[in-house]
Amino acid sequence: MSSVLRQRIRNAPPRYALVAIVVLLLAGLPTVISSFLTSEWAQALILAIAIMGLNILVGYSGQLSLGHGAFMALGAYISAILAHKYKMDYLVTIPIAGVLTGGIGFLFGIPALRLSALYLALATFALAVVTPSLIKRPKEWTGGPQGLLLVQPDPPQPAKDAFAAITGTAMTTDQWIYYITLFCALLLFWLAWNLLRFRPGRAMRAIRDGEVAAAASGINVAGYKTLAFGISAFYAGIAGSLFGLATGFISPDTFPVSLSIQLLVGVVVGGLASIPGPLLGAIFAYFLPIESNQWVPSQSWIPSQIASTVEKAGPAVSYGVILIVIMIFARNGIVGLVESGYRMLQRRLRGAGDRETGQMPSGPQTV
Amino acid sequence: MTALLELEGVHAGYGPTSVLHGVSLTVPEGGAVSLLGANGAGKTTTLRAITGGVHWSGDIRFGGRSLRRMHTEDIVSRGIAHVPEGRGICTELTVDENLRLGAHMRRDGAELRKDYDRVFAYFPVLKERRHLSASTLSGGEQQMLALARALLMKPRLMLLDEPSLGLAPMVVRAIFEIIRTINRESKVAVLLVEQSARIALDLSSHAYVLEVGRVAVEGDSDELKGNESVRRSYLGY
Amino acid sequence: MQEFLQLVVSGLAAGGIFASLALALVLIYNAMGLVNFAQGEMAMFATFIAYALISRGMSFWIAFPVTLVLAFGGGIAIQRIVIRPVERAPVLTLVIITLGLATLVNGVAGFLFGYVPRPFESPFSSDTVGVLGVFISYRDLGVIGVSGVVLLLVYLLLQHTTVGLTMRAAAHHPEASRLLGVHVSWMLALGWGLAAAVGAVSGIMVAPVLLLEPNMMQAIIIYAFAAAVLGGIESPLGAVVGGLIVGVTVNLAGVYVPFVGGDLQLAVGLAIIVAVLIIRPNGLFGRASVRRV
Repeated sequence: MSSVLRQRIRNAPPRYALVAIVVLLLAGLPTVISSFLTSEWAQALILAIAIMGLNILVGYSGQLSLGHGAFMALGAYISAILAHKYKMDYLVTIPIAGVLTGGIGFLFGIPALRLSALYLALATFALAVVTPSLIKRPKEWTGGPQGLLLVQPDPPQPAKDAFAAITGTAMTTDQWIYYITLFCALLLFWLAWNLLRFRPGRAMRAIRDGEVAAAASGINVAGYKTLAFGISAFYAGIAGSLFGLATGFISPDTFPVSLSIQLLVGVVVGGLASIPGPLLGAIFAYFLPIESNQWVPSQSWIPSQIASTVEKAGPAVSYGVILIVIMIFARNGIVGLVESGYRMLQRRLRGAGDRETGQMPSGPQTV
Repeated sequence: MTALLELEGVHAGYGPTSVLHGVSLTVPEGGAVSLLGANGAGKTTTLRAITGGVHWSGDIRFGGRSLRRMHTEDIVSRGIAHVPEGRGICTELTVDENLRLGAHMRRDGAELRKDYDRVFAYFPVLKERRHLSASTLSGGEQQMLALARALLMKPRLMLLDEPSLGLAPMVVRAIFEIIRTINRESKVAVLLVEQSARIALDLSSHAYVLEVGRVAVEGDSDELKGNESVRRSYLGY
Repeated sequence: MQEFLQLVVSGLAAGGIFASLALALVLIYNAMGLVNFAQGEMAMFATFIAYALISRGMSFWIAFPVTLVLAFGGGIAIQRIVIRPVERAPVLTLVIITLGLATLVNGVAGFLFGYVPRPFESPFSSDTVGVLGVFISYRDLGVIGVSGVVLLLVYLLLQHTTVGLTMRAAAHHPEASRLLGVHVSWMLALGWGLAAAVGAVSGIMVAPVLLLEPNMMQAIIIYAFAAAVLGGIESPLGAVVGGLIVGVTVNLAGVYVPFVGGDLQLAVGLAIIVAVLIIRPNGLFGRASVRRV
């Protein structure tokens, strides 16, 4: 039995080893970094979940949502209200928030079918802008502008024991939340991977590349597009719910327009239609503003009067530049760059240079 | 007669597919030349190469100067009016606006007014419909508008891509009559692409027959008309 | 009744502001089939330029046209540098780029001018004048007047000049226009310049009402989206009419619909967008678009 397993491991493609290493690194991370940093990494993983969801929608089904922050808000408030008002165990509310948000996303996807890509972007952007003021209104449920404070759970005894046995230290709440998040992230990435490499993924990609052709080859275009919306919202809902757990507090200002932009940055940076992309994109999009906030005050050449301005403007400027530069020069993001770099290297090694195309001058192309 | 337009070994294509494999042809100053051949022989591509609508290699010279690496806008402003397949009418605009678009590069007010008069003399129907949307015109009228608009560019050479396409025989005859007049009276050279060889040969003095991207036959229009075997094998009538 | 009419008038003033920004959106939509998500931020940035000029002692009525000229140049520069390399890219790419542009311009404005809201002096007095028993502020009248003049100028430019003609032709029939000697790419740049200038008008008109800060246009752009969509996104006339309707509707809803009140006015904008897109995606004046396969 174990030799079969060993055989299998030996025959697995190298990328499986890479995945295993990444998972182990992520699992070991809280034991080597501070509790505060652990909490930050948990939030980065949460962002990765939401970005994975958005990636399914944008990268695979070709529908652009600029309002995924709104779905995160929905998931967060569903969990918070269930935990706050109905005294439910927060962990139980996480799947509920995901499923409800997914259902609403599915319903949202039905009118979205009628919209062109451009109009969908426009409507979802408007939704993202309006979200904070929509949250404020039902005060008795959402706590209005003050938001809701959430009780963060202590690690349960078995987890504490196991952690202590392995690391020799006591597990903190932040570490426990980190592991919950990691578990959800791994589960959801695994789900996405399975979903996207089989029929649904192929169908969605076919739709993205040409709806008419997809429909002609028997793909249920409307069905898959709304399904993509639903799944994508499900991911965002889970992420939102976890976000409340990780921060212990949510308010309308937790979900500004810039959150939706941050998600988009993550998708674009990581690479559209890629599985590892969202993780890389999330780490990038999450830590960029944080790092810039820490870096700026440490720089003596930046006058202290404007340091706070620089801190605030820095992420916006860099997000903007990154979106533009990647879209112009590297439309497949980090993963795309790595892949094309790898392919180029392979070609170089094989000695086959890029064939020079002949002189082809003259004006604008028309085909 | 001096050469106005010269193509020398022009290769062209769309992306990886090449369509022209070394086309050479000459249009003399004020001449009328037709470019014949079956569907897909590369007639339209030849015209598009001339006005920079497709990548090409080899050489294309207009008035003695190479058009290499020039943009469409600059090529046409040197005096080439290209009436594309499907006529290129701006249906969002009125008839008058389409005409003004043709004349938008002109700075010679008095001359231009004369040209307007001439164009309306050729195509009275356009004067009547001046203020209507171009989308309300019939196919024949749209072809007339395209020709009129091209004339207002004050070209030295007109490239006409299948002016007979989709028109009734009566209308075709009228339009070719006017093309002939334009060619003779205004000394505008014409390079005419046509599927229906007969009407084209009637108009032109010289003709080239393209076959899969190469010039298969060239010669005097009358000669080609008279040559039974050419007619059978290439012109299909 | 009197209150109602007053609300309508101030709604029209707001509508004029929305209409200017919506018109800017329509200009770019017509030029390249794209909604420019950065339009509001570009307007905000131009308003900061006007503010900087005025605070250095320039009078408003000189700073205003100077700003418009600078915005025009800025719009052209943006098109040449950022948009031109991707002119033929899929619409998704273009949308993400304009969104990146919005974020970038917002950040740069924050960097240069800070995030502290600043009062922006209105060029019009806040006195009111009584017309048929309705008190109208000079401010509202001024905004309506300025927006009206700008919109009229744009109309004249597009419909009655050769440049306007070539811009329209380049937008709808780029290939055919090129064959007529129209420099299509430059026409697109002109469209961006014009849009930036028209958008700047909305920023300068709204700044006295809202206080000037980098996020000033975030709500206004939603109303402008609503206006453009309501009017039919390719129709300049529709943008104007849509802007006025949105302005009045939002103003009235804020007072007469208790549920909406002051804090959900923005949601009215969203509701208009969603309703129009679902019920009548071509808007009031838009042509039914044919989807090409």
